[in-house]
Amino acid sequence: MDHFALLVLDAFLIAVFFTFLWKRDGKERWRYFWKVFAALALGAVVVGWLMYPFPRP
Amino acid sequence: MSRKTDNDGGVASLPLPLLMGLSWLFPGLGHLLLGRRLRAGVFAGVIVVAFVVGILLRGELILPRQGDPLSVLAAIAALGNGCLFFLAKALGLGDGVVTAPGYEYGNTFLLTAGMMNLLLVLDVHDIAVGHKDF
Repeated sequence: MDHFALLVLDAFLIAVFFTFLWKRDGKERWRYFWKVFAALALGAVVVGWLMYPFPRP
Repeated sequence: MSRKTDNDGGVASLPLPLLMGLSWLFPGLGHLLLGRRLRAGVFAGVIVVAFVVGILLRGELILPRQGDPLSVLAAIAALGNGCLFFLAKALGLGDGVVTAPGYEYGNTFLLTAGMMNLLLVLDVHDIAVGHKDF
């Protein structure tokens, strides 16, 4: 599996976990799941790009 | 002492420390004993999948190392996996292969699985004492 697929899988599992931990109803769960999943998956890509100009020495 | 739940009428009549211990040992068991069947299944599934992926990626179940204080925190997270940790160690898995391409990702999966399970223990506590009603 490539790194992005693993990132998406990790984001998916964590989003499912916190959705069921904190939300009770179906509709509320869906909204929250997508919010957390997008924040994790897209956030990682954004942070990756922000780190791009600063490679490790 | 008996704790009634609002999900399916399940009742856990176990002492709180034992309930929390079982919740740590078997991911999802605490919620199952409290009658939260759906959530127990989802939590068990998520944690087991994350753990297995971490092992397959040749991640490491980190134990404390001398001169590396952060390894203590990592060990707490790894031990959070409960019986999965001991099962993997007994099978000779989770030693980690630093040169494997998936090593860092494997560690991430193993550590997040452990942290999620530790959060479940706290959730079981909150449900059992009545701080949370679902």
